[in-house]
Amino acid sequence: MKFSDVDVAVIGSGPAGMAAAIKAKEEGAEHVLILERQEQLGGLLHQCVHNGFGLLYFGQDLTGPEYACRFVEKIRDLGIEVLLETMVTQISFDRKLTAVNSREGPIHTQPKSIVLAMGCRERSRGQLSIPGTRPAGIFTAGTAQRLVNVEGFIPGKKVVILGSGDIGMIMARRLSLEGVEVKAVIEILPYVGGLIRNEVQCLHDFDIPLYLEYTVTQIHGEQRVEAVTIARVDKNKRPVDGTEQNIECDTLLLSVGLIPENELSRMAGVALDPLAGGPVVDERRETNVPGIFAGGNVVHVHDLVDDVSWEAEIAGAWAAQFSQKGAFEKKGKIVLRPGRNIRSIVPQTISGQSDVTFYIRVKEMEEKVRLRIGDIYDRAFRVAKPSEMIKVDLLQKELNLLKGNPSELVVECQKGE
Amino acid sequence: MSQMETEVLIIGGGVLGAVIARELSRYKVDVLLVEKEVDFGWGSTKTNMCIVCQGGDTLEFRPEYHRTKLVWDSMPLMEPLCQELDVPFKRVGELALIRNNEEFGKFQKLKSKAEKLGLAGHQFIDQDTLRQMEPNVTREAIAALYDPNIAIVDPVRLTIALIENAGQNGVKVMRENEVLNIFQKGNQFEVETNRGSIKCRFIVNAAGTSVDKIARWVNSDDFVLYPIRGYVGILDKNLGDLIKHEIHMRPDAPGQMNILTPSVHGNLFFGTTMQPARRGDYSTTRRIAQIGLQNVRKIIPDLSEKDIINSFAGFLVFRNWEVGWHESVVQASRKVSRFISICIGYPGVSAAPATGREVVELLRREGLRLESNPKFSPFRKASPNFSKLSEEQQKELIAQDSRYGHVVCRCETVTEGEIVEAVRRGATTLDGIKFRTRAGMGRCQGGFCTPRVTKILGRELGLPEDKITKKGRESRILLYKAKELLGGEL
Amino acid sequence: MIEEKIICIGCPLGCETTLKIDDQGEVVKITGYKCKEGRQYVLEEHRSPVRVLTATVLTQNSARPLFPVRTSRPLLKTQLREAAKVLTKVKVKPPIRVGQIILPNLMNTGIDVIATDDLLN
Repeated sequence: MKFSDVDVAVIGSGPAGMAAAIKAKEEGAEHVLILERQEQLGGLLHQCVHNGFGLLYFGQDLTGPEYACRFVEKIRDLGIEVLLETMVTQISFDRKLTAVNSREGPIHTQPKSIVLAMGCRERSRGQLSIPGTRPAGIFTAGTAQRLVNVEGFIPGKKVVILGSGDIGMIMARRLSLEGVEVKAVIEILPYVGGLIRNEVQCLHDFDIPLYLEYTVTQIHGEQRVEAVTIARVDKNKRPVDGTEQNIECDTLLLSVGLIPENELSRMAGVALDPLAGGPVVDERRETNVPGIFAGGNVVHVHDLVDDVSWEAEIAGAWAAQFSQKGAFEKKGKIVLRPGRNIRSIVPQTISGQSDVTFYIRVKEMEEKVRLRIGDIYDRAFRVAKPSEMIKVDLLQKELNLLKGNPSELVVECQKGE
Repeated sequence: MSQMETEVLIIGGGVLGAVIARELSRYKVDVLLVEKEVDFGWGSTKTNMCIVCQGGDTLEFRPEYHRTKLVWDSMPLMEPLCQELDVPFKRVGELALIRNNEEFGKFQKLKSKAEKLGLAGHQFIDQDTLRQMEPNVTREAIAALYDPNIAIVDPVRLTIALIENAGQNGVKVMRENEVLNIFQKGNQFEVETNRGSIKCRFIVNAAGTSVDKIARWVNSDDFVLYPIRGYVGILDKNLGDLIKHEIHMRPDAPGQMNILTPSVHGNLFFGTTMQPARRGDYSTTRRIAQIGLQNVRKIIPDLSEKDIINSFAGFLVFRNWEVGWHESVVQASRKVSRFISICIGYPGVSAAPATGREVVELLRREGLRLESNPKFSPFRKASPNFSKLSEEQQKELIAQDSRYGHVVCRCETVTEGEIVEAVRRGATTLDGIKFRTRAGMGRCQGGFCTPRVTKILGRELGLPEDKITKKGRESRILLYKAKELLGGEL
Repeated sequence: MIEEKIICIGCPLGCETTLKIDDQGEVVKITGYKCKEGRQYVLEEHRSPVRVLTATVLTQNSARPLFPVRTSRPLLKTQLREAAKVLTKVKVKPPIRVGQIILPNLMNTGIDVIATDDLLN
């Protein structure tokens, strides 16, 4: 295996990494190399045995593994080089990359461009400081998903799930179908954290009690989880005394947030956006480090895998261009600023000289709102929810309508019809 | 159920039991150490802030205590011990922040006391120098008292190293062995455990939070112990460079300490709020966590809840709680011969090296014959720490065993080779792997590596994965196999 | 006259609709929807709620202990749990290609259970 002359190195081979690598190759990059830490391509897609993938990208309702297979086949056909069970341990500002695996030992390469596609990790119990004991039987939902769908083990038979994010709800259904009693899904907000589709098809369909505006206030059990105490929360998300109840269980699953995994990005000096969670990128998905691009959940957590792949393709295409033509001409920079009720906007900067799709998340759910981008976009929405990303396509000619030569564009979510 | 016999029985495999075992292994003495958990150092040893050489800290109260002598005598011994045992030791130094004249006055007294008693090194640091030494620390600090002696270690690794070295030198060790009762039969003790009975002549009772309970069995509890639980928070490694020294600020409320310290592995620890609690109750509460964060933000204002990756509670066992900081228990019983109890309380790890020697001396006075062991070797080599090796060393290691090239814990860069080696050296549980290799201690807290580590443990121990436990006994991680709950079979 | 509440999942709004059903089982009135697609969805959902079943089956002679499968078409919602039980008895062996029929005509529904991944070893 040659590690010199890599045109585009892609770190991660989930729905982002695979899409980026394929696009890079299609856009003319000759030597495209994927570095994947797991034993096979596909990232987390393999453990997502449920459907709902590819409705937009392929126009079909696929399961995670089916979605992965489409890309894996293309990777094979295109002859893209793949290193499996290979962990990237370092990246530098000048794109020197170090990885390690059992066959080659430490690997050094300095690709012409890099696409960061490492995805996310899950928020853990330790980060939530959930009071109580430290028994066995506490898992994040994604880890439980791997155990149940890949490793062949069921963590317990009486499960409580904290958090109604999509992964939590999907696991509620999955476990029910495997004979587990899912005793409750506990959610701190007044509405579910994931898609309504999942609330219906995972919780309602299986008669799983959903406790909205509740949280887990204590874990019991010395060796293994024996019960959890839940309590209602007030408007400030603080537990209300006197509302506690105990739920007997042997397992607690946590579905309380995803965090883009950017340790490598940090090492390379990539600037991160604390609001989106990942690198600050422009419409080409290039970071502040020339030649380092990013796409997918590593930039910001998506709702749909289709968007993950599309976004990563942008990164892959421009990484390919960078590898062939070098650094891009700086054509002006407009910074997107989050205004009222906006949590994050990706890309965080644009040149204003090309079409762009913005991915926007609001902070709080509001009904009957207007989404505004500067003075060039103004549209009414029946409802805006933090759990459902809003995509806005703007054409270059619309951006040309911007008055003056603004260095920033405010995105805001206002009440009103 | 077996019958065992030994000369000296050490009850407790925490840092104190371990250091005593290692000291005794310098002599030709039959020693058996029993530990009730499935691995070593799982009591107070693993739940503290990892700070050692705390000579200055013992001067807060009653320097005439025996405790002070033990900590001071341990100070020159700690670094050489860590070198012999190939465990991490970092001399970080301590800065006690001064915010006003009153605090300055208190630290003046401390410094004079130290100097009078012969502890050198404390210096006052002015505002400018403080900013240079610690640019991120609160602007409210106008000066600091610098103690250059303070260092940090990994107490569990130290304990395991002591046990391994003691084992190399002839000490026998048993885990999952809990002492249930002790009987005196003439010149001997007969000790009843969950794994059989042990006949011995001498007992060293180093059982941490159970020291007084065990002493009571032989009517030897001429001391009263109060369990005090403290809370420690762990901050993300990304913040590891925020400070270089251990920093401490006088607490604004009683029953608290306000400390922020680097760890040898690159995290920061903060703590601690102390309250009396039931022994064995390691639960944390939200209020305590919030107080801890509030306090540490007085030292570094920019910290937020998002930066905490985990937290834990640990026990300090105090004597004379009513009077303030306690005196340690390192004594031969006045009622029963050849029975020695040890309980340091705070600061325990700091007092370990000298306590080891002292207990050997106490045993000698109780009649133990000490003939030198000519085969004694003080050296013990740690298992390879892949992430800390040079590339040349990594290549060599992978060439010997390719599993060192397979990274299993992404957050801490721990390889399969290291996990296999940890099993070879005695780890049988997920937590055992965690404390020996750091797999699972990173920011994802085992989210990625838990299924993989469980698989490796099963494979290396020849056990089905659903028999693997988190921390021994009933703490199995996976309760059922796929389809088992639907009536199927894997 | 009975009332049935159904949440429409056509768009993020998730309208809670109410269906009034007469004694003959006919839907006489639907309220709460905000668009015609939503009305259509809740009618279908009321008449015959269907769901795709996705699950795993055990393997034999394979490095992987489990293999992901799905029904080729949606089943009746009420059949899901029984279908999951039926799949408990299925064991698959490599080689398998994605899309291959694992279990034809599940529970006599005319719907097949198909592979959603390759199983090469």
